[in-house]
Amino acid sequence: MAPTKTIKNKHAANKSGIKGSKDAERSRNDGVLKSKGKPKGKAHTLVTASKGRPNIQELIARKKKKKTYSEKELAIPELNMITPVGVTKPKGKKKGKVFVDDKESMATILAIVQAEKEGQIESKMIKARQMEEIREARRAEAEKKEAERKARLEETKDSLRKKRKRSKQSGGSKGDDDDDSRDVKEFSSAGTKAVKSKKKKSVSFAAPE
Amino acid sequence: MRPLTETEQKTVFEKLANYCTDLKSLIAPLDDGDRYVFRLNHSRVYYVRLSVANLATSVSRDALLSLGTCLGKMTKTGKFRLHITALPILSEHARHKIWVKDNGAQPFLYGSNVVKAHVGRWSEDCPEHSGVVVYSMADIPLGFGVTARSTTEARRLDPTGIVCFRQSDCGEYLRDEDTLFAG
Repeated sequence: MAPTKTIKNKHAANKSGIKGSKDAERSRNDGVLKSKGKPKGKAHTLVTASKGRPNIQELIARKKKKKTYSEKELAIPELNMITPVGVTKPKGKKKGKVFVDDKESMATILAIVQAEKEGQIESKMIKARQMEEIREARRAEAEKKEAERKARLEETKDSLRKKRKRSKQSGGSKGDDDDDSRDVKEFSSAGTKAVKSKKKKSVSFAAPE
Repeated sequence: MRPLTETEQKTVFEKLANYCTDLKSLIAPLDDGDRYVFRLNHSRVYYVRLSVANLATSVSRDALLSLGTCLGKMTKTGKFRLHITALPILSEHARHKIWVKDNGAQPFLYGSNVVKAHVGRWSEDCPEHSGVVVYSMADIPLGFGVTARSTTEARRLDPTGIVCFRQSDCGEYLRDEDTLFAG
């Protein structure tokens, strides 16, 4: 749709007042540009021709000199186009799919793929071996720690046993064998509750000041 | 029917390389001067003798149901899925193998994964997530899958632990009868 233009004075638009004049014509086509077969520079060339009369060859050469800009030189943003970037196909390239049917190209693809896969598998194996080594080391460490802990426990047990023996030897009148036999008899007759009964219940009161 | 493009050929080889060691023998020339080629028809990839493929050009695309050995299917996203029909080729050049006991063959053929209790033996030095071909104890290929654990890790696994994820098994010949070659 052509843009509408408001004209205040209908007669003022046509300045010359002559119906068939150029101005009148221009105002009639206001806003709508019609492409003409002949180039715009025609009037200009006519003027120069009347002045110095350069020959036609020169004119043609001058016309050719007009610099044409490529799309890259214009620096238009790539996305600001009708066709998206990905869709444009390179010129001069064969249309359609390129099939691989000859032996040589198939063999090259195969060699590339196989080399890649071998590399991947090899790296996987190396990684797995390394992980296994780390796991082994961790397990060995844990075992060592466990053994150490057990040894310490045994040590403390032994020390406690020795301490008990020593105390009994110093305070008791009879030998160790008799003590042990007595303990066993007591446990068998009364069980563990007998130990509790030995203790006397005591009640303590706060001393008056 | 048409030959594969470069990218298609690459994806097919990459998939096959997961399961096979020697891919060169697949395209090696035969004694009679013939060789095997890959052909694509209705998104199915076929592994076929060149002479047979040339003969098949006389059949129209719609009328051609299958030729040679159907390896698998090209998906719309450009990936390649191996079908059970490729098993004879995979088992011939298998990289890693798992043998399942008789009590484990049936569960596998019905579509379940391979558990450790069912494994009779497996190939050494098998890394995690690599393709394996599953055999019965009588060396009959039953299907193929992907290892869930490496061989060393699998040794420590409990009997109910999964050793191999099933990808395809011979039971598919019956279960997927309708969609194996078309659709």
